[in-house]
Amino acid sequence: MTNHWIDFKNSDVILIMGANPAENHPVSFRWIMKAKDAGAKVICVDPRFTRSAAKSDLYAPLRSGTDIAFLGGLINYILQNKLYFEQYVRDYTNSAYLVSGDFKLPGEMAGLFSGYDPKKRSYDTKSWSFQKNADDSVKKDPTLQDPNCVFQLLKKHYGRYTPELVSRTTGTPKEKLLEVYKLYASTGKPDRAGTSLYAMGWTQHTVGTQNIRAMSIVQLLLGNMGVAGGGINALRGESNVQGSTDQGLLFHILPGYLPVPSAELKDLAAYNEKYTPKSKDPQSANWWQNRPKYITSYLKAIYGAKATKENDFGYAWLPKLDPGMNASWLMIFDNMIKGKLKGFFAWGQNPACSGSNSNKVRNALAKLEWMVTANLFDNETASFWKGPGMDPAKIKTEVFFLPAAASFEKEGSLSNSGRWAQWRYAAVKPLGQSKPDAEIIHELFQKIKALYTKNGGALPEQLTNLTWNYGFKRADGTIKSVDIHAVAKEINGYFLDDVEDKPKPGAPPPKPVPGAVPGARKLLGKKGELAAGFAQLQADGSTSCGNWIYCQSYNEKGNMMARRGKKDPTGLGLFPEWSWAWPVNRRIIYNRASCDPAGKPYNLKKAVVYWNPNTVLPTGALGAWVGDVPDGPWPPMSNEKEGKKPFIMRADGVAAIFGPGLKDGPFPEHYEPVECPLPENLFSKQMNNPASKIFKDAGIKEDVLASNDPRFPLVATTYRVTEHWQTGVMTRNTPWLLELQPRQFCEISIELAKEKSISNGDIIEISSARGKIDAVAMVTPRIKPFQVGGKTVHQIGLPWCFGWHTPGVGDAANLLTPTAGDANTMIPETKAFMVGIARKG
Amino acid sequence: MSETINQAARKGFLVDTSRCIGCRSCQVACKQWNKLEADKTSNKGTFENPRDLTPALYNRIKFIEKDTAGEVTWRFFNERCMHCGDAGCMKVCPSPGALFRTKDGIVGFNKEKCISCKYCVSACPFNIPRYGSDDKVSKCNLCLDRIAGGLTPACAKACPTEALKYGMRNDIISKAKGAKKTIYGEDALNGLGVAYALEGPPEQYGLPANPSIPMSIFLWKDVIKPLGILGFWGSIGAMLLHYVTIGPKKVDDDLNVKENGHE
Amino acid sequence: MSDYVERFRTSERILHWVVTCSFFTLLLTGLGLFSKLFHGYFGLFGGGQNAIMIHKISGVIFFFSSLYMFFNHKKDVSSFDDGDWVWIRKYGGYLTRYGNHFDIGKYNPGQKMFAVFIAAATVALGVTGLFIWFPAFFPRWIVQLSLLFHSLMFIGSIMFVVVHVYLATIGNPGTIEAMLYGDVRKLWARKHHPKWYKEMTGENR
Repeated sequence: MTNHWIDFKNSDVILIMGANPAENHPVSFRWIMKAKDAGAKVICVDPRFTRSAAKSDLYAPLRSGTDIAFLGGLINYILQNKLYFEQYVRDYTNSAYLVSGDFKLPGEMAGLFSGYDPKKRSYDTKSWSFQKNADDSVKKDPTLQDPNCVFQLLKKHYGRYTPELVSRTTGTPKEKLLEVYKLYASTGKPDRAGTSLYAMGWTQHTVGTQNIRAMSIVQLLLGNMGVAGGGINALRGESNVQGSTDQGLLFHILPGYLPVPSAELKDLAAYNEKYTPKSKDPQSANWWQNRPKYITSYLKAIYGAKATKENDFGYAWLPKLDPGMNASWLMIFDNMIKGKLKGFFAWGQNPACSGSNSNKVRNALAKLEWMVTANLFDNETASFWKGPGMDPAKIKTEVFFLPAAASFEKEGSLSNSGRWAQWRYAAVKPLGQSKPDAEIIHELFQKIKALYTKNGGALPEQLTNLTWNYGFKRADGTIKSVDIHAVAKEINGYFLDDVEDKPKPGAPPPKPVPGAVPGARKLLGKKGELAAGFAQLQADGSTSCGNWIYCQSYNEKGNMMARRGKKDPTGLGLFPEWSWAWPVNRRIIYNRASCDPAGKPYNLKKAVVYWNPNTVLPTGALGAWVGDVPDGPWPPMSNEKEGKKPFIMRADGVAAIFGPGLKDGPFPEHYEPVECPLPENLFSKQMNNPASKIFKDAGIKEDVLASNDPRFPLVATTYRVTEHWQTGVMTRNTPWLLELQPRQFCEISIELAKEKSISNGDIIEISSARGKIDAVAMVTPRIKPFQVGGKTVHQIGLPWCFGWHTPGVGDAANLLTPTAGDANTMIPETKAFMVGIARKG
Repeated sequence: MSETINQAARKGFLVDTSRCIGCRSCQVACKQWNKLEADKTSNKGTFENPRDLTPALYNRIKFIEKDTAGEVTWRFFNERCMHCGDAGCMKVCPSPGALFRTKDGIVGFNKEKCISCKYCVSACPFNIPRYGSDDKVSKCNLCLDRIAGGLTPACAKACPTEALKYGMRNDIISKAKGAKKTIYGEDALNGLGVAYALEGPPEQYGLPANPSIPMSIFLWKDVIKPLGILGFWGSIGAMLLHYVTIGPKKVDDDLNVKENGHE
Repeated sequence: MSDYVERFRTSERILHWVVTCSFFTLLLTGLGLFSKLFHGYFGLFGGGQNAIMIHKISGVIFFFSSLYMFFNHKKDVSSFDDGDWVWIRKYGGYLTRYGNHFDIGKYNPGQKMFAVFIAAATVALGVTGLFIWFPAFFPRWIVQLSLLFHSLMFIGSIMFVVVHVYLATIGNPGTIEAMLYGDVRKLWARKHHPKWYKEMTGENR
């Protein structure tokens, strides 16, 4: 989230789309209700009338997988009716930038952007670049009139997204569409804020990234980024999923969103050269210019004294991806089923249920030599070998089960969607032999390290050189048990040497402090001290930091994450002394964009920050930001000498309406899901996302798709319910929750039920090209057929929280979903696929 | 013959259905605090489960979906003991202390004193009390043990949206009225301890528009009982009166008459 | 020749006392259920729950014995003859002590009505009692009405029983002997049930 949970209360219009907070984030509705109390309107856009829809002021249905069409129509509406926030768009986004004359839009290219190579299924993005002046700065047209400027291209691109065409694609009645557009676009006024709450309903599509991009464009046009009650807010599906991505859970990022090096980057210098953006714009803070400090401090954190300047701080030991390698979730199981993987750790996860195309996952697990599962309960993955259709006698996979402790049985931090790292304590001791994950990893590490030390192996240094000072050391050097505080401190980072506070190059010399010894060194930090914040981190190996964005979380002042102060000075619910938020306790990121270029808040009543030019700083300088922790201390951009633009993580300091960094286009374009009910994309000749990976290996029988196929005429989507969590491993084993939601069901419309002679409560079979499951039919007026492309299209909905391991609940909905991933992230497309249904017996 | 109740001291709930998101935290929190077993259920084509209150389910959410000319509504209603100011269950309960009223105005129950007559089942205007395999009354007691310790009842504590609002009854009702909510149960039955702010007519939620103790229970307790006691003593009195005024019919009476030559 | 005529056989007397005992057990166990005022009566049975159990057992006994008794006497109690109507018109002669001579058979209309009422009450109390016993298996309105009628029939019965006991004991001395020993004095029979007396003895006076 750019904002945070409590901030929902500051919104004027809340758009729930691709999410279902009432069911999956019930506590968030506390704040949505507070917003409603204050007069806010809530919009819910969803294929089903959900519990969130029940609490919304305006509900609009849409066919699964057509969000870009819906949002593209919104962008068009905003532009046509001039409802955008002009100053914001001009000053804080790249709308004025001129794009290369070679650039072509999908409207001119049969649904493709310029530069497409159908053989590689990828774009050459050369034509997507900006026009440059002689001094390498970008050419701009502040009047936004140049036909090659981003703004005009945007207008042209989304001019195709007329309400009529959008309605014919999404199935949303045109009046509803316009009602939503009108209400949401009302937040384009400077003193109004609209927020976007999304979750897997947007991400789990082959166009997942572009769904969110489309909303980002809307938010930028309306000036909703950086303001209280605005932002792009991903409602995370797990209490600590934000934390796990922050700490490098994904295959392509190290902790703190540092890219995982690719093997072609031979040394740290090459890595830094590639990943450190440069900007000559004096008004751009270009924060990522600090990347070398963060990667070096990270290497020092993991390799300690072994990381020296001479050995490139151990860069060579870092695991690397092969050039162009994709090691995402879908690829793990694709490689596994092809027999390319020997072993697998299923840690706190249940891929046999959660993995799309679960039959492929289950059959892939059977190809392994060994699998280790760490979980609270036995589940469909750990017991896959005795699951439906499996012959245990033929499966050679050796399965180990490690009982893990639950969250309330261990101490540590959790990072919520709002980026708050909150410290929690163990409430009870772990049950039986179960252990906290850190202890399990600790034991594994000690044993594996001992084996490597004794027997050697390929590149043992990678492991043997790791620091591991997380607790009391016995005489033999082993550690009794993990001190989680030591881990938190390592993530925060230390001074490894005395570090001098050098004035920044070009900055005026600091005023002499009265009474100070002239010429005495002023220290930023002493050796052994915890770093106070990432601004202190160094690229020369004198600091360590396990995750630069968490630097400050556990410093010399103590464990910031354990703070429980309830002060709310702004009244906006920022609660700056409650726990700690990354980065540097900033509660709303890009908050400088909530003010005009002079630092005056656009909405005086809900000012996140403002520039007070009269504040006297200890250095004697004048002017400071007041309110939330600003995105950097620099004055606002109207100060031509020292002022900085608000979007400091962008090299050019402005937000990207035109986003050339993505694989499938600088503007979101509507493509149909890989499985869809239509013979053609109504927007262009290009049916599906041209840059998404197609799994079409003749040898793998599970990789089949059936689009526009009379056997599978129904659009299906999967979702979670309040009563169960993820695949239900924890909740299905909680009888109270199973009581509430005891069995796999399938929501279908009254019209479809009539067509198929299905009554409420009947057992039906749902089948896709890849599998079939049984479910109880839930015939409901909350799902209605869509009029799409001139025909009636039915949609059904399935929760994915059930699995065969719990008797009588039915098997996983993901047996039906395809192996297909987003072009950028490879997140599986489980939110739109095609099925058929029939009454059983 | 309703019991007297100190209205000013009453604690209770205001259930604002417009705030309820149907998450059912209340159902689960109640089970947890009151240590109630899970019920075995099956899906019958609705989210609503269990389909009724059970001895191990003191409160539950009813899911009410309606399609009026294409406009769909889905409402969530918290069903539980209403802690009536004039409680039918207490009226009929023959075992003192089995159902009792606390100083906060809550209708509590004590399984040890319950004699399993089940009269409360019939006397409740809202059909709330349930009997389990122990054959003892069970129903929401507003977590009176928590209240005694200064805590909020488990369900209200767990409710994320303040749909279940706990507090001094007069305060929460006047606050809701201040917010222009229509209150159900403000005065009915001498005031419901669990009052509602509804979004539609009570019938849509399966509530009686004018809740009252069933007429038959009223007749029994307020008419037949006093008249019956009167009748019983009256008949004894009449017999005694007959004995001393007219007197018994002795077998010898006629003989005496004959002998005295009266006939 | 004996001064006595047999009025009730031993089996009839036993049946009557079974009915009587179960009735009074029902009364004592039921008082506490009727109203909290009589809660103390539960003490006789070791608490309310026992009282309910005994109430249920004695209820079953009463139901069958009472009905059996009714069917035993059905022939004698289910019709009125001319003599009965005279009796009714003169309130059974209970408004004056002297000069009442009615042509009454084995049972006078009062007894007949009592028998019929008790039979009806037995059915009503039994059926409503069953509903009250298992409230969960019947619609609430049935159980609610049952509670009402159960209490109503109870009140009716107890009032009739008061009268019955009075008339069978001190109100009509000699009557109780029929239920105690089976025989009544001929004088008594001739006075109260002349027609029956004639049938039994052939004597007119």
